[in-house]
Parts: sequence; structure tokens; C-alpha cells
Amino acid sequence: MTQTRYRLLLIAIGLAALVVGWYSAGQLQTRSADRGLEGFGGDFTLESAQGPVSLDDYRGKAVALYFGYASCPDVCPTSLANMASAFQALPEDEQDRVQGIFISVDPERDSPAVAQEYAQAFDPRIVGVTGALDTLQQVSRAYGAIFAKVDMEDSAMGYAMDHSSVIYVIRPDGVVHSLVQHGTSPDQIADSLQEALRAG
Amino acid sequence: MTLPIPFLGRAAALAAVLLAAAPALAEQAADAVHPMGAYARAVPPVVKNSAAYLTLHNSADAGHALVGAASPAARVVELHTHSNDDGVMRMRRIERIPLPAGEATRLEPGGHHIMLIDLTGPLEAGGEVELELRFADGSSRTVAAPVRKPGEVGAGHHHHHHDHGSD
Repeated sequence: MTQTRYRLLLIAIGLAALVVGWYSAGQLQTRSADRGLEGFGGDFTLESAQGPVSLDDYRGKAVALYFGYASCPDVCPTSLANMASAFQALPEDEQDRVQGIFISVDPERDSPAVAQEYAQAFDPRIVGVTGALDTLQQVSRAYGAIFAKVDMEDSAMGYAMDHSSVIYVIRPDGVVHSLVQHGTSPDQIADSLQEALRAG
Repeated sequence: MTLPIPFLGRAAALAAVLLAAAPALAEQAADAVHPMGAYARAVPPVVKNSAAYLTLHNSADAGHALVGAASPAARVVELHTHSNDDGVMRMRRIERIPLPAGEATRLEPGGHHIMLIDLTGPLEAGGEVELELRFADGSSRTVAAPVRKPGEVGAGHHHHHHDHGSD
């Protein structure tokens, strides 16, 4: 008798766990669909060739944000070219509602003017910014971006920057909509931008 | 008594095969390795570094290796590679790129590349750079690499299911 009761209790607990789990999963899905990655990322102010640039300056537009450096020969140009292709793939009315931001994490080599000229070479809708190392570290930490200067004694490059390669798609209300991983096609980036435009 | 004739014939055929094979075994990388689809990445004038890519098909029976490159377009040319460690992109210099016998080795975005450091002039789309490929056996050969814009470079990169060979 006690054993039967014990079993019933276990079943009840199991059922309760299932219901709670199912409910929270539903909640989480709703949250990511409706509210984006709230609390992640956030506003920042960095230097462009034309003065300070903040994420909040682009409220009302979907923003594609990328951390990289201008002398990056391979990974960054691929990502920025994909970002540019994604912008160009959007319907015309949406092309004016997107903004790219290229943050150079290599202020030693990239002045704001260099960052800007580099970014603009891909698409006029991409602004190039950089800043003091501690500011860059704060911003990248907020976005979970990684960068580290690595000496290359055997190379004329002097040093390289190890870095994450993610395009952060941010909604018009400033909330991060999604993280687009390296190697994602321009079409998929364009889809994310359109979702962000509709979501916020 | 008719036996020696086919025997001689066979011996002659064998000798011919051996003679033909001998130079092939000693074939230099410069002759055995065929460069395909070479291109250099156009960069904004503000950028002083770029990369060149190509596919190297080693038609020889023996392995070869690319150990260096040179170009009038850059003061320093090095072989580099990329790795993606859990989303962190790392670029490092490498001393050699093995070219296994009978295989096509690709130098492509995200992997091995020829790094052009301290460009001597702007690398504009539509232009062309000369690349001298240096092999482990001391031989070398020159290939012309058209300069392409990043957009055009990235374009063919996303059709994962299509293998364009020398594209």
C-alpha cells in the first residue's frame, strides 16, 4: 500500500516536471520570438571619421553589427561582403531601413578614417568605427565577441587578431534579434534582417 | 624456336615503360603541379594586406609541397592558414602546404592562403597580379592572378553543394 502510494507520488512529480518543462519551453520560445535577446548587447558609442557614433543613432533601422579589423585578409572581407550582398538583396523599400556597423578591434592599425574607408568599400550603408581599447573591450564583452592580439614573430604581419566572426542582427528598437554565424549565406542574413525589421 | 620473339617484344615493351616512367618519377613540382583558378582579393586602398587563392593539382606520382611565394604586388609574401576554433578565427603563418600526389589542394577563403603583406600598390578589381610559386624541390613557376572584389569572391563560396573545380 505504501509502495503504491510512493509510486503514485513519483508519477505525479514526473507529470508535474513535464508540465513545467513544457510550459517554460513555450515561454522561452515566445520570449525569443517576441522580445529578441533582451539584456544582451546594448547601446555603445565609438569613434567614426565623422565623430562619435552610437547604436542608438540608428533607432528605426535594422542594424548588422560586425567586429573585425581592416588588415584581416580573409575572414572579415568575406563577412562584410556577405553583409553588403544581404543589404543589396533586400527589396528597395527595406534597403533604406538597414545599417551596417563595422567595429575595428585593432585601433593600433585602424584609425577611425581607416575603419570607415574599409567599411565603405563594401557598402555605403556600412559605417566604420573604432575606439580606445578599454571601450572596445567593454562593447565586445556586452556582445560576447572575442578578440585577442596575438604576436606572430615569424611573420611580417607582426601580429594578428584572433577574433570571433559573428554578424549581430539588431532590431529597430535596439534589441539584438539574432547572431549570424560565420559562413552564413547573404540570403539568410537578409532573412534575419527582414525578421528584425518586422519584430521591432 | 619462335619463343624469343614475343619474349623480346615483351622485354622491349617493359624497357619502354621503364624509360617513360623514369622522367615522370623525377618530374619537378613546377611541371607536375598545375595551378587553377588563381585570384587575389581586391582591397580598399587604405588596406596594405591582401590574400591570393588558387587550387594546385599535383599530377605526379610523388607528393610535392608549396613552401613559399613571391609577387611584385607585395613586399612580403607568406603562406598562412586559418582555423576556426569554436567560432574564434585564428590566422597563423605556415612553412609549407603539402600537395599530395594526384590530388587537388585548395587555397581558399577560411583555409590556406597566400598572404600578400605590404602591398606595393592598390589591388583593384579588374587588375592582375603575378605570383611566383616556390616548391619544396627548389623549382618554381609563375601564375597570373586576376584581382577580384570581395563580393565576387564570396559569391561562389556559398553553393556548398556544387563543386566548381577550378572556380
